[in-house]
Amino acid sequence: MSYSFEQHKIVGAIEADDDYWRGLEDGVLRLPRCASCRGWTWPAHFRCGQCGSWDFDWVAVEPRGRIFTYTRTHYAFDRVLERREDVPYVTVVAELPDAGNLRLIGVLKGDEADLAIGAPVRGTIDPPSAKSKFYPALRWELER
Amino acid sequence: MTERNVSSMRGATAIVGIGQTPYYKRGTAPEPELKLALRAITQAADDAGIDVRDIDGFISYASERSDPAKLMPALGTRECRFASLVWIHGGALAGTLNVAAGAILSGQADIVAIYRSMAEGNSQRLRVAVAQNDTSSQYLVNGLDSPAQILALRAQRLMEHHGVPRSALFATVQASYYHARNNSRALGRATEMTREIYDEARMISEPYRLFDCSRENDGAACVLVVSAERARDLRQTPAYVLSAPMGTMGGGGALEENWRPYYATAGQKELADRLWRESGYGPKDVDVAQIYMNMDAMGIGSMIDHGFFAMEEAGAFCTLDNLIAPSGRLPINTSGGDLAEGFIHGMGLIPEAVRQIRGTSVNQVPGARLSLVTGGPGDLMSSTALLGSADTL
Ligand SMILES: [Zn+2]
Repeated sequence: MSYSFEQHKIVGAIEADDDYWRGLEDGVLRLPRCASCRGWTWPAHFRCGQCGSWDFDWVAVEPRGRIFTYTRTHYAFDRVLERREDVPYVTVVAELPDAGNLRLIGVLKGDEADLAIGAPVRGTIDPPSAKSKFYPALRWELER
Repeated sequence: MTERNVSSMRGATAIVGIGQTPYYKRGTAPEPELKLALRAITQAADDAGIDVRDIDGFISYASERSDPAKLMPALGTRECRFASLVWIHGGALAGTLNVAAGAILSGQADIVAIYRSMAEGNSQRLRVAVAQNDTSSQYLVNGLDSPAQILALRAQRLMEHHGVPRSALFATVQASYYHARNNSRALGRATEMTREIYDEARMISEPYRLFDCSRENDGAACVLVVSAERARDLRQTPAYVLSAPMGTMGGGGALEENWRPYYATAGQKELADRLWRESGYGPKDVDVAQIYMNMDAMGIGSMIDHGFFAMEEAGAFCTLDNLIAPSGRLPINTSGGDLAEGFIHGMGLIPEAVRQIRGTSVNQVPGARLSLVTGGPGDLMSSTALLGSADTL
């Protein structure tokens, strides 16, 4: 199977997170855990800086966490113009207790009333669309 | 800190020339970027009383496009012996001084120009190069493009979780505009900043409104660095480089929003520790500070990381009275800084830090001897520098 994001590759960062995007396109949140020392590495990388291993297991993780921080964007910035009609929208950084409290970014979905740092959130996955640059997207939703 | 742990670079070099073009609204410079760079460099040489042809080292940072090879023919450069571009973005600002010192003390160069030139029409900095195309898909897929948004994440945490009040942010804005009124170069000089103007400005990315953000301008600035020995024979009062460490927070790196153990400030605690240790001074000794403000809350983070006040003291410390010359506890951004003078990737801050040592700022802190300039807060690599007068050596 060929993945949508592979046809629309965003280049320039570390770029060791292909398996993350593959997982999301398959409908599963998968995160990299060192095959040797079992530590989580995020952002994904090519080598475990803790133990030196080059091997990671991409482990399915329950998409739930707490809001670490967030911002509500009120301006359609150049490189994310696809979201113009969604302005203002909230982007959340959430900590995942099931994955060493690593932090994952996602656009908030649904009710914003209880938006606050520390609030519990649950993740869902949007399939690739123009809005997310033809990548799949993790969405955070406030637990009610 | 009383103990003196003197690094071999301490006071061994000095800034002896400064040059700054007028600042223009983004995209409106009447001259191309390369020409602006030439103007800033020649002005710095004239200011120092140095023949511009004798500059033999060139240092810039981030996405600078006016490289030495392009400049040399017009400067009449006799021989370039050293050139370097410092990583990564505006965080590199103060660290350029350390690179210059390294080149000079190792005998690789005698007269080093540190400069930055920006003209949006030429460089497309905002559209193309602001992130040097290194913005992760993790941001772009989730609606985050600009540093304003990414730094807003940090500011939200600083304010909501750590309790830094809005009044602290406003005080830094107000102080910047207050100082800008005396600076004919400052693009914000006509604005009398009030809380109403500040509060009513449009929201960019919460918690940042328009006036919390640096300007983005066309212009160029340059400083010339030479050995302390050479500096003594030149016409200007030398501003000695006491310390200018560069680097990251402990661990650090391209961690996106996974910075640990601390997140909401500038990532400069470790740098500041080295600065105080290497210079032999501490935050209480500083007379005046040019605080890099890509965003105002990040500048507050820099001041916290440098130990000027604790998080819970930010509200009490950051008041207009405390932040303005001539007699505030810590006058900051005395030219108007990145918020109110103009923003050419922070490069205007070093000349102003030098003017304070010379006694020639339009908002002079009387008798200023120790003058701080911080690099871009929140950058993946950052830096900070303490300049001193001769009697601080
Ligand atoms: Zn490992």
